[in-house]
Amino acid sequence: MQEFKVLPDLPAPVKTVGPVAWLKNNLFSSWLNGLATIVVVAILAKLLPGLLDWLFFSANWTGTSQDACTKEGACWVFINSWSKQFFYGSYPDGQLWRINLVLAMLVGIITLSIFISKEYRNKIVVPLFLLLPFIGLIILDGSLIGLQVVSTDLWGGFTLNVLLAAASIIVAFPLGALWALGRRSEMPLARSISIILIEFFRGVPVLALFFMGSVMLPLFFPEGTTVDKLVRVWIVLVLFMSGYMAEVFRGGFQAIPKGQYEAADAIGLGYWQKNALIIFPQVIKVSMPNILATFVMLFKNTTFLLIIGIFEMLSTAQTALTNSNWLGGHSTEAYLFVGLVFWVCCYSMSLIATSIERKLNTDHRN
Amino acid sequence: MHKSILFGLATVALFSAPVQADTLEDVKKAGMLKCGVSTGLAGFSQKDEKGSWSGLDVDVCRGVAAAVLGDASKVTYKPLTAKERFTALQSGEIDILSRNTTWTHTRDTSLGLNFAGTIYYDGTGFMVSKKLGVKSALELDGAAACIQAGTSTELAIADYFRENNMKYKVVTFDTSDQTRTGLESGRCDFLVSDQSQLYALRIGLKDPAGAIVLPEVISKEPLGPVVRQGDDKWFNITKWVVNASIEGEFQGVTSENADELAKSGKPGQKRLLGTEGDLGEKLGLSKDWALNVIKQVGNYSESFERNVGQDSPLKIKRGLNAQWNNGGILYSPAMR
Amino acid sequence: MTEDQRAVSSKHAFYNNPKNRALIYQLLLLIGIGYFFYTIVSNTMANMEARGIKSGFGFLQATSGFDILMSLIPFDATYSYGRTFVVGLLNTILVSIIGIILATIIGFLIGVAHFSPNWLIKKLATAYVETFRNIPLLLQVFFWYFAVLAALPTAARDSVSIGEAVFLNVKGLFIPKLIGESGSSIVYLSIAVALIAILFLRRWAKKRQELTGAQFPVLWTGLGIFFGLPLLATLITGIPFGLEYPIMGRFSFDGGITVIPELMALALALSIYTGAFIAEAVRAGIQAVPHGQTEAARSLGMKESKIMSLIVVPQAMRVITPLLNSEYQSLVKNSTLATAIGYPDLFTVFVGTTLNQTGQAIEIVFMTMAVYFVINMIISFVMNRFNKSTQITAR
Repeated sequence: MQEFKVLPDLPAPVKTVGPVAWLKNNLFSSWLNGLATIVVVAILAKLLPGLLDWLFFSANWTGTSQDACTKEGACWVFINSWSKQFFYGSYPDGQLWRINLVLAMLVGIITLSIFISKEYRNKIVVPLFLLLPFIGLIILDGSLIGLQVVSTDLWGGFTLNVLLAAASIIVAFPLGALWALGRRSEMPLARSISIILIEFFRGVPVLALFFMGSVMLPLFFPEGTTVDKLVRVWIVLVLFMSGYMAEVFRGGFQAIPKGQYEAADAIGLGYWQKNALIIFPQVIKVSMPNILATFVMLFKNTTFLLIIGIFEMLSTAQTALTNSNWLGGHSTEAYLFVGLVFWVCCYSMSLIATSIERKLNTDHRN
Repeated sequence: MHKSILFGLATVALFSAPVQADTLEDVKKAGMLKCGVSTGLAGFSQKDEKGSWSGLDVDVCRGVAAAVLGDASKVTYKPLTAKERFTALQSGEIDILSRNTTWTHTRDTSLGLNFAGTIYYDGTGFMVSKKLGVKSALELDGAAACIQAGTSTELAIADYFRENNMKYKVVTFDTSDQTRTGLESGRCDFLVSDQSQLYALRIGLKDPAGAIVLPEVISKEPLGPVVRQGDDKWFNITKWVVNASIEGEFQGVTSENADELAKSGKPGQKRLLGTEGDLGEKLGLSKDWALNVIKQVGNYSESFERNVGQDSPLKIKRGLNAQWNNGGILYSPAMR
Repeated sequence: MTEDQRAVSSKHAFYNNPKNRALIYQLLLLIGIGYFFYTIVSNTMANMEARGIKSGFGFLQATSGFDILMSLIPFDATYSYGRTFVVGLLNTILVSIIGIILATIIGFLIGVAHFSPNWLIKKLATAYVETFRNIPLLLQVFFWYFAVLAALPTAARDSVSIGEAVFLNVKGLFIPKLIGESGSSIVYLSIAVALIAILFLRRWAKKRQELTGAQFPVLWTGLGIFFGLPLLATLITGIPFGLEYPIMGRFSFDGGITVIPELMALALALSIYTGAFIAEAVRAGIQAVPHGQTEAARSLGMKESKIMSLIVVPQAMRVITPLLNSEYQSLVKNSTLATAIGYPDLFTVFVGTTLNQTGQAIEIVFMTMAVYFVINMIISFVMNRFNKSTQITAR
């Protein structure tokens, strides 16, 4: 009898595992795919070295004035010198802690909302969120709490983008909910008014609304009253945002099973109780990804304020480009930098939205 | 929900303020002058990386603040776009508009505003690349023009080309800096703007020597500060602050010698600086109003050279903006 | 309301009747709204009178006095402000249509690329979407206009050219213009005839398929008719067309058609930005089609291309269409960013220059808002009709 010997395991065929197989499966699975891969790689190889060289290797990093930019590449000195303006605007140097404090509070509340247990979330985080923009305004303005008064013309830069977007969405949240409820209401007048408001603010370009805020709104106030331009812009942003939020909420309302309404009716809850305690918490939950998406849109749209001369970040970049000590074409650097800042913020928010979406996706599809 | 609405209303209230007809009283009470300037215009009103404002237009604001409040730094700058500038003044958001604004009949008479003098005599001009080989604007038939949108320049150039039976293409830009980029990239063949701006834009070119400003000046653009109509006291103050700085140069008073001349100068200098006569009181200001203006902001010449003249990157020559006895048309009414 | 029946009872207080309460609420709302508008209108009137602003639409007849870079209808400084409105409106419509077409193409390509078996292409599609979606559009408009298009050749003789007929430089894209001579109307007519013929062909083929199950290659025959008939007409009439080539003039090219760089930059930025959103919509749409559908089709022995066009895409369209609707609308609204680079759209021309010259803020801003509102209503209407056709029809 011949003894059977166990042969040693052969390694997996090269064609199914390992880098070669990966390449074959993912990059060269057919001749068309292979061609596409080669074309893409060729384009990248042609573009990347020059780009990296301009961005990093021959860029100018140190210095304080335009004269320091002697090398061929990007003049990051420009960004560096103007970075305070880019982020804080003209806010007085000694008072910057106020901005940082407000931003820290914002970050703090967001962190809190992630880590706090569910039962306290609605009782603590939600009121804090609603109060924050007003506390922020009071701290930044300073006149009510005896700090040095900083008038709004000194506010600017990226702070203003964040602040305006945050202050707008927080008021737009309840207002949008109200309009969405109005749209679902059985009262014909409330319904038609809500529909008109929602469709108007969604159907009109936000730039036109900004012009309304800048040249028309002053005419609407009683003679002899002036309202700060920033507040007028804020009002416009709130209304614009409410239109979008109302539609987001409407989608949310539609996603709530009818049984929830009927159950709430059955236990004898009134209209406001039913909506506030049963329906709305669920609506917020299901529409969270859309709320975030809408917020990202609003946040990006705050750059449009440049057109009406508000010193938000992009507008600050434009101002920096016209300064007579910095003339000489740093526009690419400026736009890239502003683009990068916005991209980081918007991309992380969209990541959060995706993860929430995944968490919410508890049904049995897929 | 209701809370947030209440807060909203409270915030609106916090940032809104009633306007009274007596601007001088308001400014004194607030201790701050609200001045409307442009969002960024080299030499006229520009913000540096520290956030402080400078420029010829800005110096008017600083001068008025020095005259009224005794401190040139007590100014709140409100950057405005061309479109909203008059609304801002009419609604009382600002006390004075010093934003590169051309004094025209229509604006002076139909907007409820008053122009308080001229701080810079400007005119629409042309800038072309040297390479084009053009010596006169009349050779520009068929060329493309870079213009800032929404300015009186748009009308001036349309008139000029129609008058001369020439055709052109108009490429508009949102800001004047962008018109420079347009010329540089070759999007247009020539740039049309106020002459002062042409110089400012030229130094921003990568090769400033490669561009020339053509001799033609096709319109009158006297630029000056604007105030609301119906407040004569305030109108007078603004007007005479402008005049004081012009008269200061004429009399040879500078920021350095002003204190000294106030004590031991000629009678005319003493009258201007408030050690003789009561010019300040007649304006409702303190005696040393003009002294403050010249000491803190400088006379017209100092302000001009610092912001747009030889001490600035713009290097604009005085030209029309020299004193009347020096080949220009600056002429302050008599200080007596 | 389900409580209605119980609540209507004379025992209950007046305000406990939901119907009465609804009436009271609405009355209060009406009073509130009425008061609000009354205040605004009276404030505005008082303010306008105090500032000497005239109101009304008389300014539309006044001579404009300024020129516009690009106009689809004749325009110069002697035309009225009303005409500037039409010029701007047409330019807005032009850039919107170009933008919508390009964005749809980009969006579908990238959206499908997300399902490509090629790893590199898949990743590039994701990178594309995440980059362009998360950067403010205004910045992108600036980028294309001031960084990319401004870097094209400056001098006319250095232009990038194709066969001495098409030229591209910093002043724009210059292409030959088709000029119809006598007999060209017959060709135009033949195009119309071809379109009608295709319509009938489609209807006939559909009916035949329903009756007999036999398929007819509508697409290829249709294309054949669409190109063949006009070509035939052209040949019969002896090619009644001439081409007007762009010729180098003193400053630039004259003649032909000029596509200005402002239009190119804006259309590019709008379509690339909106394309990223459409790609997401397409991806979501395709993902929403259950995998079982593809598998079932495969087990029936359908070809992969047929599976895509007959099974997956029609079902995905149900998800995609409503999203497309809102993307198209926001593209039209975002076209107002033209004002940042001076493309003469409605916003630049009318709210920009005309408003500044006339000072009629209220009339002009409202007219402009109304226009965008109406355009969006039209898009919504068309897309809803299309949406209905993609929904499941129960037989």
